[in-house]
Amino acid sequence: MSDLQSAPDGIAARVRRLVESFVETDLIRVRIERNGDRIELGRPALRVDHNEVAEAVALAAEAAPARNVESIKSDLVGIFRLSRPAPLEGDLLEGDRELAYVEALGIRNPVRSRGAGRIAAILCKDGDAVDYGRPLFELDRG
Amino acid sequence: MIANRGEIALRINRACQELGVKTVAIFSEADRESLHVRQADEAFCVGPGPVQRSYLNIPNIISTALVTGCDAIHPGYGFMAENARFASICADHGIVFIGPKPEVIAAMGDKATAKRVMKEAGVATTPGTDILASVDEARKAAHKIGYPVLIKATAGGGGKGMRVVEKPEDLERSFKGASSEAEASFKDGRVYMEKLIRDPRHIEVQVLADEFGNVVHLGERDCSVQKPSHQKLIEEAPAPRLSDKARKNLHDMAIKACKHVKYSNAGTLEFLADGDNVYFMEMNTRIQVEHPVTEMVYSVDLVKEQIRIASGEKLGYTQADLALRGHAIECRINAEDASNNFAPQAGTLSKVVFPGGPGIRVDTHVYSGAQVPPYYDSMIAKIVSFGATREAAIARMERALRETVIEGVHTTIDECLVILATPEFRAGDYNIGFLPRLLDTQAAEAALASTAVTAGA
Repeated sequence: MSDLQSAPDGIAARVRRLVESFVETDLIRVRIERNGDRIELGRPALRVDHNEVAEAVALAAEAAPARNVESIKSDLVGIFRLSRPAPLEGDLLEGDRELAYVEALGIRNPVRSRGAGRIAAILCKDGDAVDYGRPLFELDRG
Repeated sequence: MIANRGEIALRINRACQELGVKTVAIFSEADRESLHVRQADEAFCVGPGPVQRSYLNIPNIISTALVTGCDAIHPGYGFMAENARFASICADHGIVFIGPKPEVIAAMGDKATAKRVMKEAGVATTPGTDILASVDEARKAAHKIGYPVLIKATAGGGGKGMRVVEKPEDLERSFKGASSEAEASFKDGRVYMEKLIRDPRHIEVQVLADEFGNVVHLGERDCSVQKPSHQKLIEEAPAPRLSDKARKNLHDMAIKACKHVKYSNAGTLEFLADGDNVYFMEMNTRIQVEHPVTEMVYSVDLVKEQIRIASGEKLGYTQADLALRGHAIECRINAEDASNNFAPQAGTLSKVVFPGGPGIRVDTHVYSGAQVPPYYDSMIAKIVSFGATREAAIARMERALRETVIEGVHTTIDECLVILATPEFRAGDYNIGFLPRLLDTQAAEAALASTAVTAGA
């Protein structure tokens, strides 16, 4: 399995990073070949205007599969606590799982993943005070 | 913590900042861009736009106070301000509720109880009854009091569960109507009866009481310029054309009443005035919208006093230390269409310019580009004018209203200017029937003008 294929979720981000690094340089053409995958970036002139950068980024994003990221928000005011074992960014969830709870007026209100996905981001620290609508997790539903 | 929104949230925040007290604001998703959210030291979203899920969401409000470590909650007016249950929940969680004790809030919140307690205190109340058990009892009472009478729900408010009875034949129908409406609106169908006083003046007395039994009054306000819905539009302090005897009587009754119910914090006793006869109507156990007119003429900060009193301080002054100076008027600027029954308006305020200069105070939460959400009260600003005399205060108010620009919604500015220009208002000779009559005249004139245009075409 090739490098790029091994992290299908990261393709868009990787390509975007590559394009961004490329436009920061004065290079006209870059070709990367690895394990059978090949990516080639180029531009017609040394000076690139911002529209072209945006276009390149947009094209790269279009080429990669779209990510479906959903944020799980707090529906009450309280103290955010990670459930044990503590979930980590990058964890793959096979189904619905309790990720954390919001403690309010002495009651633990569970925060669930409501389905499968990969934890793309944990947005609050254990012990943070959170309010209504505060994004707690980003889940990549694939 | 400030458990409110809009101008009163800013007003409380200002008092706290000046006292060096850190603040936590609460807000709904519809108020995320509100000034009170930006001006407080911290701000917590407690729910979506509708009030039941945000500004009336007791668990989220209490939880906010607990997680942020607040010592006290100022409820402002409306929302939680006269909710005795909320005040007790605060106490259960070791949070100071800035207001009177829950049992006093509860007693004053029940109109029939409040009237009975005031009678015990020797305060004049409108001739009337306690809770009426039956139509028969009501008939006997009405005969004794004399028609016309008013049947009112004890849990009532906003005119719900209220009926005017002009003659004995209408009594049974009105009694049952008021009771079932009250049952439907407040889940409490109990009603009582009062003599109907036609076109009285609405005069209220501001009081401050500490937790050691010291009570002072800060004069009265005349709030008789009311919309047909009984909502106040213009208030002034002191009340014009009130005899010294009636004024002193009002102040004395207010003090007597507060001492009797062991009142603490700021409060207002509302009276109906019929000539020199004044009758207790109800007591509001909170800061009121129109408190700035009193602040102007007594040079006192009522919100700061509320906070000082709630933190256990003594008043530190007596009635003799308080002196009234000058005259103040407040106009409520509402996002409403005065020509269409004061229908509330929502939308974006494309341009906002407020007045300034000597003797003008503006309490508002809006700015150019601000949203007026559909969920809340339509008041967007209070313009207050101060003058050495009533005439000077009126002239300043007219000048200030003309300086004001609010684009994007209809407002009550023009209607306020019309009222200020009437001979009745100029003379201070008006009662609660004044504005409804003026509106009828305006509507008739508008109809006549449109007929004239059609005829001329």
